[in-house]
Parts: sequence; structure tokens; C-alpha cells
Amino acid sequence: MLPKFDLYMPTDLAEACRLKGEGAKVVAGGTDVFVNMHGGKDRSDKVVDVKNIPQLQGHSFSPENGLDLGALTTHRDIELWDVIKKHYRAMFEGCSRVGSVQIRTRGTLGGNICNGAPSADSIGPMMVHDAAVVVAGPANERIVPLKDFYLGLKQLDMKEDEILKRILIPAPKAHSGSFYIKYTRRNAMDLALLGVSAYVELDGDILKTVRIALTTAAPTPIRAEKTEALLIGKPASEALLTAAGKTVLTESHPRSSWRSSAEFRLALLEELTVQALQEAIAQAKEA
Amino acid sequence: MQNITIHTIVNNELYIRTIPVNMTLLQFLREDLHLTGTKEGCDEGECGACTVLVDGHPMNSCLVLAAEMDGKHVLTVEGLAEDGRLHPLQEAFLEVGAVQCGYCTPGMLLSGIAMLNLYPHPTREQIRKEMEGNICRCTGYERIADAILLASERLAGETEAH
Ligand SMILES: Cc1cc2nc3c(=O)[nH]c(=O)nc-3n(C[C@H](O)[C@H](O)[C@H](O)COP(=O)(O)OP(=O)(O)OC[C@H]3O[C@@H](n4cnc5c(N)ncnc54)[C@H](O)[C@@H]3O)c2cc1C
Ligand code: FES
Ligand code: FES
Repeated sequence: MLPKFDLYMPTDLAEACRLKGEGAKVVAGGTDVFVNMHGGKDRSDKVVDVKNIPQLQGHSFSPENGLDLGALTTHRDIELWDVIKKHYRAMFEGCSRVGSVQIRTRGTLGGNICNGAPSADSIGPMMVHDAAVVVAGPANERIVPLKDFYLGLKQLDMKEDEILKRILIPAPKAHSGSFYIKYTRRNAMDLALLGVSAYVELDGDILKTVRIALTTAAPTPIRAEKTEALLIGKPASEALLTAAGKTVLTESHPRSSWRSSAEFRLALLEELTVQALQEAIAQAKEA
Repeated sequence: MQNITIHTIVNNELYIRTIPVNMTLLQFLREDLHLTGTKEGCDEGECGACTVLVDGHPMNSCLVLAAEMDGKHVLTVEGLAEDGRLHPLQEAFLEVGAVQCGYCTPGMLLSGIAMLNLYPHPTREQIRKEMEGNICRCTGYERIADAILLASERLAGETEAH
């Protein structure tokens, strides 16, 4: 039984912002919110369902502008969209491995981003694709790069009366490729014990652009910028990738949990960083 | 609001009901409509026993508010048989012995039907992936996959015959 609450289902974005500002809990797919409520962890007495707000709906792609995704875009939408598999492979790998078909059918990108779990499978992939989020308040809106959206454990750069409206992801560049590797103890229905996302742009054999993001490797999803700097401008040799696997350890802080010890996570991180880069490079060569 | 009136079509029948807003779709089906075929296992999205189709899409009814069902079509296990004849997937489950205690079966059937709509000729690998949200503690899954494959052949035969 869910706790008692007042439910609001506005179609107006400003109205939803106002309700959130007054302390109402935003619910999109509810796959985090209702689990917390069933478990007694969330006792919000006001809930605002944002699914009827047009500005949060819909998703489109154009070769010039890239992806414009409503916050309500589901993991299943991403998984079944051919554009994603072709140009944003890391996102396919992440979203298609969230929970189950039922969870992906309901769970939204906006919910995954705003829940902000270190293990969130869509965030790292979107970070390496240089995503930005459009955050709307009652009067105006602003654009925040996704990599700057996390201020600390479950702390977002989002004011009390702001709502995540859309996610913008640049058009795919020539000779680019990406990948995400999610390591789990079992194949289905498990959270990432560790995850690495990589994106590269090649100029011949040279790594022209590199972005790496780490999942479950710190209190928030993070970019590995030191490792990126090490790689950029150099030929993608095996020795260089091995060095990247070592560097990434210096800029991550995995913790021990019942799922895994920090030591095991570090060992995985080194290996998976190399693998994710190799896969992204292979994708870029095919592109 | 704390109560809401919804118009919802469940198994092709229209229901107009006033319900508390914190009622889940699972509770609505079982306690209000007395459609107890849909099961509760975990109440947190992990087991899939509560799976129903909403406008054709599989969802964990334990994580959906009944309040959201206004204007929607819901399909549960009670709606699968037509004119007294079981759905081909139900028949296949019986024939190959994919049912033991039966607790997971309603959810398995609905997920299976959603999958066959999307992938009429699934591979075993696809079945494993698409059915990952439905847990069975009895069968070891092999016969469930067998049943889905059998039903896919028969459904393909039916469409060819028409
Ligand atoms: C069984 C199960 C398995 C799961 N497996 C995975 C997994 O493998 N990987 C993974 O990453 N996640 C997993 N999850 C978590 C969850 O499904 C995802 O985080 C999902 O993307 C959440 O989206 P939602 O729309 O359901 O969010 P909701 O539950 O509706 O909301 C989540 C949070 O975001 C806030 N919020 C939502 N939308 C907005 C918005 N537009 N603006 C501002 N705030 C907003 C809510 O207030 C809430 O705090 C799993 C959950 C379950 C129940
Ligand atoms: S009861 Fe809904 S998933 Fe288990
Ligand atoms: S038959 Fe018993 S849980 Fe599946």
C-alpha cells in the first residue's frame, strides 16, 4: 500500500514548477519514487505527476542538431530507436540494460538523471555524448551541461521549483564512436557494480576527442577528465590505452558495498576502461 | 486531490470507478475489480508477477497508479481467452508444461504476448532478454521459452492461413 498523498496531474509546466516548489514530489515513470514509497523511505504527502506536460514529451533527431529528448523519453524508447544504435551506441548499451522491459517501458531518462544514483545506466553514456539538460523554472529556463549537473551525493544543480524539461545531445561527428560496459553479477535485472562509458573521435589513427564517464565509481556519475587529457592528440596504441586504465584509478573513488569491495571495483575499472575505449575506437573506425 | 474518477477499459470492458489516488493499478485490478489473476510478488518491480499490458505495453502494475489509467486500455490474464478458447500462448504453456505452481504464469503470459507482438519470430536469446523482468522459482525457464517458441510458430501459421 502506498502512503496517502494528494495527487496533481497538471498539463502546465509552470504549475508543476510551483507545486514542486511547495514540496510536492515529482513523479514521471515512478520506478524509483513508488519503490521508495512502498518501502517507507519516501513519505511525501503531495505528488505531482508530470507525464501530461507537453514540453516534457516527445523525442526527435536531426543530423544537424542531434537529439532533442523530452525528459519523459523512456529507456525503451531509446533501446528501440535505430538512430541510437547507429550513432549513440553507448546510450543503447546503457538504456537497453536498465532493469527489465517493464521497467524500461516506464522509467524515463529524466527520472534516471534526477534520481542521480551513482549506478544510473543512462547518465554516463549521455555524459560522454556531451549531453546538456534544459532545466525549467516557473519563469525562465537554463541549460546545464550534464557533467556539471551533479554537485554531490544525490545533489543536483536544480532549484526547488525547477523541473528537468529536455535533454540535448549534439549531432554525431564524423569518425566518432561510443560504448558503455556495465558490469553486473548476473546478466539480467542487476544494478551496475561498475560501468565505463567511452566516446572517441578519430583523425586517422589519432584520438582527436575522447570522453570517458564512470558509473558506480564515485558518489555521483563522473567524467574522467585527467584520463581524457592523457589520451587526446595521441595515436590509439595498446600501450596508451593500458596507461589510461592506470590513470583512471587516480580520479575515481569507488566504495565498498554489499555488492562489491572497493578493491574489486578498482580492478574492474582498470580493465573496463581499456575495453570500453577499444570498443568505442572500433565503432569509430566503422562509422 | 485524494480521489479520482477514472474511465478505463479492462479486457474490453469499460469501468467507471472513483478510487483513492494512492491506489496502485495492481490493487485496483485485484481488490476493486476482483480480477485476481494478476499476482503480487514483491511490490517493487523486481518479479514481474504483476505484469499487465497498458495500451499494449508491459508494465509492473505494482508501480503504476490506477489514477493514470483514465482513458487507457488494460489487458490482464483474464482477457486472453476468446470465445472460450485459450490464447495460443496459454495453450502452448499447458502443452509443454511451462506451468508448475503457476504464480508467475499470468505475468509471463502478458510479457510473452507483448514480446511476440514486437518480435513475431524470436530467437531463444531474444526470449531470454525480453523476459528478464519475469522471475520463476519453479520451472528453470526452459519450458517457458519452449512454449513461447511453439506459440510463435502457431501464430505465424495462423496469420499465413488468413
Ligand atoms: C526493478 C528495478 C530495476 C531497476 N534497474 C535499474 C538499472 O538497471 N539501471 C538504472 O539506471 N536504474 C534502474 N532502476 C531505477 C529506475 O528505473 C531508473 O532510475 C529510472 O530511469 C527512473 O525513471 P522514472 O521516470 O521511473 O523516475 P521516477 O521514479 O518518476 O523519478 C525519479 C526521481 O527523479 C525525479 N524526477 C523525475 N522526473 C523529473 C523531472 N522531469 N524533473 C525533475 N525531477 C524529476 C523524481 O522526483 C524522483 O526523485 C531500476 C528500478 C527498479 C524498480
Ligand atoms: S509485484 Fe510488481 S514486480 Fe513484483
Ligand atoms: S511456475 Fe512457479 S513461479 Fe513460475
